[in-house]
Amino acid sequence: MSRWRYFFQRVLLSIPILFLVMTVIFVILRMGPLDPVAAMLGPEASGVQAAEIRENMGLNEPLWRQYIDYMFNLVTFNFGQSYVIQSGRSVNTLIAIYAPRTIWLGFWAVLLPLFIGIPLGFYAGLNPNSWGDYIASFSGIVWLAMPNFWLAIMLLAVLRRTQGGGFLGFDWYTIGPEVRSLIGTPPLDFIGFEEWQSLGMVPMPSGFYFDGGTLAVAIKVILPAAVVLGSASMASELRIGRTAILETINSNYVETAKAKGLSGRVILWKHVFRNALIPLVPIITNEALLLLGGSVIVEVIFGINGLGRLFFFSATQGDLPLAGALIFIFTLITISLNILQDFLYTILDPRVGYEQ
Amino acid sequence: MSMSSDETDVVLTLRERIAANPRPALIWVAGLALLILLELGRIVGWILAAGGAVRMVIGAIPSVPWWVADNVADGLSGVSGGLSQVGGAIGFSVTAALVLIAGAFLVKSLFVPFSVSKKIGLDARQIGPDALSEHLLERLVIAAGLGVGAALILVTPVGGAVDAAVASLTNALEWVANGWTLSDRELISNEGHRSPDGGWEGTFLGLSPAIAWSIRVIVIYAYAFAALVWLWKGYTTYREHYREADWTPRDDWINRFRTHYWGIFGLIVVFGFVVLALWAPALGAANAEANLYSPYQNEFEYLTDDGQVESVAHGTANIQSRSQGGDSTVGIMSYDEYDRWAPLGTNPDGKDLFTFLAFGARTSLMIGLIGIGIATSIALMMSLITSYYKGTIDIATIVVSDTIISVPVFLMVLLLSVVFQQGNHPLADIYSGGLLLALIFGALYWPGLWRAIRGPSLQVAEQEWVDAAKSYGQTPMITMRKHMAPYILSYILIYASLLLGGVIITTAALSFLGLGINPPTPEWGRMVSDGRSYVSTSSWHIATVPGILIVLVVTGFNALGDGIRDAMDPESESGDAGATAAATGGGG
Repeated sequence: MSRWRYFFQRVLLSIPILFLVMTVIFVILRMGPLDPVAAMLGPEASGVQAAEIRENMGLNEPLWRQYIDYMFNLVTFNFGQSYVIQSGRSVNTLIAIYAPRTIWLGFWAVLLPLFIGIPLGFYAGLNPNSWGDYIASFSGIVWLAMPNFWLAIMLLAVLRRTQGGGFLGFDWYTIGPEVRSLIGTPPLDFIGFEEWQSLGMVPMPSGFYFDGGTLAVAIKVILPAAVVLGSASMASELRIGRTAILETINSNYVETAKAKGLSGRVILWKHVFRNALIPLVPIITNEALLLLGGSVIVEVIFGINGLGRLFFFSATQGDLPLAGALIFIFTLITISLNILQDFLYTILDPRVGYEQ
Repeated sequence: MSMSSDETDVVLTLRERIAANPRPALIWVAGLALLILLELGRIVGWILAAGGAVRMVIGAIPSVPWWVADNVADGLSGVSGGLSQVGGAIGFSVTAALVLIAGAFLVKSLFVPFSVSKKIGLDARQIGPDALSEHLLERLVIAAGLGVGAALILVTPVGGAVDAAVASLTNALEWVANGWTLSDRELISNEGHRSPDGGWEGTFLGLSPAIAWSIRVIVIYAYAFAALVWLWKGYTTYREHYREADWTPRDDWINRFRTHYWGIFGLIVVFGFVVLALWAPALGAANAEANLYSPYQNEFEYLTDDGQVESVAHGTANIQSRSQGGDSTVGIMSYDEYDRWAPLGTNPDGKDLFTFLAFGARTSLMIGLIGIGIATSIALMMSLITSYYKGTIDIATIVVSDTIISVPVFLMVLLLSVVFQQGNHPLADIYSGGLLLALIFGALYWPGLWRAIRGPSLQVAEQEWVDAAKSYGQTPMITMRKHMAPYILSYILIYASLLLGGVIITTAALSFLGLGINPPTPEWGRMVSDGRSYVSTSSWHIATVPGILIVLVVTGFNALGDGIRDAMDPESESGDAGATAAATGGGG
């Protein structure tokens, strides 16, 4: 089977999957033990308001009718409105406000482990069974077992102790741009468009501003949260990176390159590193997936008003339509990332698909 | 050839082999009897608890058909009343039949070594069409028997008699359970008070509570270790004296595992964790019932500053022993105001942290075992079926498992636990929501397990011995069970061990957020949450200790999984397992 055919098969397969996910969400929210209106207004939901919400959400229709409406709305990204968290606002507006913060967090949570985990793993792989290797591997293993929520509160406690020059010899509050609080939403208005011009029908941004100071604050506020969220990824990238280097360095083509008399540097960069990166591709995309689940707890602890925190509050405060829409969006992201992973694999590794 | 007679052969030969050389077996059994006798009370207590759980499950099964009938009737009630009644009746019969047949398969494979249908003179070839095979007929007969039995118990007075018999058996066992046990809290007691002359009263040999408690902990761990060693000795005795084969692949696994220090470290940690969970009531420095659950109904004695021995309720004393930072803290390895020993300090409510954590270990272990047990059984069954039949059922399972995998696990667990708990579903009340959580984990984790072992199980299905069994005329059931399951099961164990750590973290994360396990059932994550505002004060231990415990236990399970993997398959890549391990860390 050609690898492109394999890739398109995978893409096609994601359609029934998406359909099933939507059905599962519908079953949980509309047929589950919790009545959506009772969740919003309390167990004795009655009266005009309850009837209004019922009518609005279409709960008075027969179940099959509700199902078709629900599916149609999800597919057309028409998620309805929030009833509890920000009553009356459309879910789409809420997502547009909250999503950038989660993306900012996710961006750093993917980037940081890449630049710490992979180099450490490669270092450990190039110096196997040295003390450096032992320390890196061991801390990777412990790091992996550390629950994010615990790591988060420990990190916050340590950083809090540094206020006014604590035992670590630096003050996190004043280092770089000054921040007053460790937790909170990062300011993301460091870049934006000021003027819009119409170019025929299409509006075009003609001027934009950029504020370096705000950018620095945004990075500084997000850093501790990103370190925590990326911790598991960092550890597994370290582990896989180490194994990949060990496997590559003992392979025949590296032997051949040595025999040809290539310099150590060329072997390392051209033959070892490039091939060692292949097994890291699925790890990196997998990590992006893990971040989706992990963002809930990290955003709750660090007080970042992102999608994860929004999901937590919508679920616990009974805003079930909002929670359902968010789960659907998270699933959509997961499926797209899986397709992206398959795509990268198809490009990077010509062997994919032949063994199937 | 029926497999049941086959199995009887094996049992008989083992019996014969033991009869030929009874000495090693007798010595081992005598040792085992001694070990059981030492802890008779506690072991019978565990049996009672397990029996109670089994009874609850069996009691819940008959309500399933009614529940389905109600739901079908509800769903159809909008259309027409008559249709709803008919639908309900159909739903009831179909579900009841399915439950009975599933039960029949279980009963047949576990308890019935002979053919019931032959005994009562039924022959498949005489009464039915070709499709009705001997095996199916056998199960149908047993299902009918089960149905009659269930109807007798539910409808006629036979049910009352069965209840009475079970109750008297339970009473007898309870009497034993309250009797002698080595790890009795009263036997090596650390609960006593200072006497006016400077010593201690009420503690073991008048020692200080700290020392008495340490002795009890050492005795319990020594006992558990001895039991483990003895079980291991049982296996080696079997291997040396009674096993027919001189060598099996398992011997190699064990030899490789013995030199795998990382895996042994994992085994030790997991052993310590399991013992902590099993003996939680005995290991706790305080009596859990008195200190954690109903502190105002229980009193204890203490020596006041003016030399009087007075009694005070645990609840009142707890208020004075709260750890809330600053001066009011009872730290690690210290006594509180009332001379109660707190090995790991107290929590913000003044309750003993060690006792809380020991019972929390119990919660985590229960949820982990039930959840992963369910996930493992589904994954094993599905991988047997999909790798044997391949084709459509394989594709269908891929779609279903991909569906479950593509929803972020933590979000789904959170949403489901909110929906069930706020909807006041009866499942959410059992074990403070623990059972519900375990079921959710079972439902969400099997696809990952199935995916992880899909490659190996497809390979196993291609082996010559499976082909041989097929061409020899073995039924699919037996081929899967005897020739494929043992190999696939060992692969599943690796991933199950890695996932167990993930379950522990996710449960703790949910409790940290105030979901999942409801108070008063202890859970480690809740203690981290309770202590989070005191991390940088003198009461730092409240959130720190449970966190370190989680890290240790999860590392232990990961190490054990690594060890098993390297022992079974030394050439396997660590890549896959690494990815699974990452999945364990990601949720919380």
